[in-house]
Amino acid sequence: MKVAMVGWEYPPFKTGGLAVHCYELTHALARRGVEVDFYMPRTESNVAPKGDGVKIIPVGYARYGAYVTKNAYGLDFFASVHAFNNACAEELAKRGRGNDYCVVHHHDWMTAFAAMKGKYSLGLPMVSTFHSTEYDRSGMFPNGYIRDIEQKAMVNADRVITVSNYMKGQLKEKFGVDEGKIRVIYNAVRTDEFKQSWDVKHGKEKIVLFLGRLAEQKAPAQFLYAAKRVLEKERHVRFVVAGTGDMMGYLISLSVSLGISPHVTFIGYLPDEQKESVYAKSDVYVMGSVSEPFGITALEAMASGTPVIVSKTSGASEVSPHRLVVDFWDVNGLAERIVALLRYKVLRDTLAHNEYEDAKGMTWDKVADQTIGVYNEIRK
Amino acid sequence: MTAVCFYFQVHQPVRLKRFSLFADSIPDSLYERYFDDATNKAIFGKVTDKCYLPANSLLLKLIGENEGRFRISYSLTGSFLEQAKRFRPEVIDSFHALAETGCVEFLNETYYHSLSSLFEDKTEFVEQVRMHSQELHSLFKASGKVFRNTEALFSNDMARLAEDLGFDGIVGEGHESVLGWRSPDYLYGVKGCARIKALLRNYKLSDDVSYRFSARWWPEWPLTAEKYAKWLAGAPGQCINLFMDYETFGEHQWEETGIFSFLAALPREVLKYQHLGFMTPTEVVQDNPVMGEIDVPNPISWADMERDVSAWLGNSMQRECFHALQGLELKVRETRDPEILHVWRLLQNSDHLYYLCTKSWADGDVHKYFSPFQSPYEGFINYMNILQDFRKEVEEA
Repeated sequence: MKVAMVGWEYPPFKTGGLAVHCYELTHALARRGVEVDFYMPRTESNVAPKGDGVKIIPVGYARYGAYVTKNAYGLDFFASVHAFNNACAEELAKRGRGNDYCVVHHHDWMTAFAAMKGKYSLGLPMVSTFHSTEYDRSGMFPNGYIRDIEQKAMVNADRVITVSNYMKGQLKEKFGVDEGKIRVIYNAVRTDEFKQSWDVKHGKEKIVLFLGRLAEQKAPAQFLYAAKRVLEKERHVRFVVAGTGDMMGYLISLSVSLGISPHVTFIGYLPDEQKESVYAKSDVYVMGSVSEPFGITALEAMASGTPVIVSKTSGASEVSPHRLVVDFWDVNGLAERIVALLRYKVLRDTLAHNEYEDAKGMTWDKVADQTIGVYNEIRK
Repeated sequence: MTAVCFYFQVHQPVRLKRFSLFADSIPDSLYERYFDDATNKAIFGKVTDKCYLPANSLLLKLIGENEGRFRISYSLTGSFLEQAKRFRPEVIDSFHALAETGCVEFLNETYYHSLSSLFEDKTEFVEQVRMHSQELHSLFKASGKVFRNTEALFSNDMARLAEDLGFDGIVGEGHESVLGWRSPDYLYGVKGCARIKALLRNYKLSDDVSYRFSARWWPEWPLTAEKYAKWLAGAPGQCINLFMDYETFGEHQWEETGIFSFLAALPREVLKYQHLGFMTPTEVVQDNPVMGEIDVPNPISWADMERDVSAWLGNSMQRECFHALQGLELKVRETRDPEILHVWRLLQNSDHLYYLCTKSWADGDVHKYFSPFQSPYEGFINYMNILQDFRKEVEEA
């Protein structure tokens, strides 16, 4: 089986989680004997897969990250996305005639046009994976141009893969996608890439971690309001806020006006190599997002054996029963669960070990198997 | 003659409130602070209308029609009786009417449906058993000589304790882990006991009614009274012990499944066989010798696939709650405060720990069905928060 896959980034070139996803997925597919031609914008980084089975085909050129904040969506950006898609479609049409592709598969909106053109020029079945949509990234004010591209891709795709049932609901409700062609495939995590909480030393002060973009969607303010309530009950706690974003200044002054600033530490953007130990050293991980298509950070915390509290409006809340769940707006509910995790060691330990076992089962090989299952439904 | 011995378990837990650490105001009364009477009342009312009243009135009618030949038994927990008195007193009246027929036996158990038989110190267990006997005697003039521990918990030690308390019989689960190749349809002596006789549940025939009655995947569906009576007639032992939750009738198996019609036809079908007759547990024990001995060093129960204590004490969260609760005994007694003692005992309802079970296989579904909590973790947090608050109150009292 040979697949034409269109993506936007691939390690070491990455601006978000998509690069890692594409890297792991293509390699897992290759291990299953599926050949993948991976089309992506030419970059200055030396993008290379490991071993056989995956071939990178650089086309056009794009210098922008797809998931940077809205301000960065300048005219240049859209022009460069468009240029890439045109170049990619041409390349795809050219190579497609010599190759026996059985499906064209693309990820998110930036690559949708190339896949649609491939579908019609080569007569290939098309698979769209949506890791998020414009609604998740921009909340109440979606960029209409991007939203339209997403809509077109969903209409033209023969199968739409998305990362959670929560997202499936969004695709049905906001884009009117026919339920029968949506397939849910959860993300995976490599537990071997993380340290586990039982292997690292924990200080006297307990740590409650927030890790994510400092934007409304991730509900960092609710995290601080909850911190205030927790501190009414428990004293030796540190609230660590990792990540950067538009709200940084606001959050710092909020922690001051709530009178909890001595207990809050802002550590900014975390490089990967520090992330693994920050998860492991934390006693509680909070992902209280307003809307989270999946929430890979919750899975990473699970892989670290750090108990997680996630919002109901997140895909990650579906993947294991061994987590605590709150409504994103329920500050007291969040605080209560943080306090419980801080107070009751047996609760922390039970959640940690059970969620870790579940995380171990969420492998890229499983993602690949499910993806092949989708290919088989529609392949030529 | 082979005795058909019916015993119905009648229990309602006293459910807990969602206890908030950040509530604006908390009631002074500990009962109101921890227990959710609105929910208790609503559920009690629903089960009363679907099960207790219709089933009682049907059984009363059947007892009348069969002139003493149809005999049954119940185990009514103290937490059930208390709720009945407060929420639906007519339920007590209808059990009273059943008691008056002389064909109904009431089994003894722990008043609070507790796991106190697993406490290190058995004082609490003995007190709860006495409380329960007194209550049964004062309500129904009951004087049964058979003991049924919470959730059919059973071990050599528990049987000896029941014997010391003056009981002639004790109920247990007729599971292969205890019986091996032997049939549950005989009376057994218990290792280390002098005279107490064990009545073991025939779980297959019991579950045919309580669990499989409406199961369309079951090749025997639909189960008729005629067919069931034939199965009973084919069992060669001294007694067939059919023990099940009373809520089977109308609540777990809805009226629409035909469960009441099945029950209504059953005495007639069973009594068509000359060698079958209905008896209550005390009558079975008094009429029959033991046919062998069982040895149960570790407690068994009638719950889950394992038939052990793991439904309540299987994970470390459950054990931590249990130990914390047990650890309060001395302090609770020292307060000599009846409300504190009562609340501590209500917190012993085994159901609270049942909700914290994390066993993820088929049994998990049953725990989930009964649990008012989203997850065992939520159940643990709520129970522990209540226990911590209660401990503070006990220490300050």
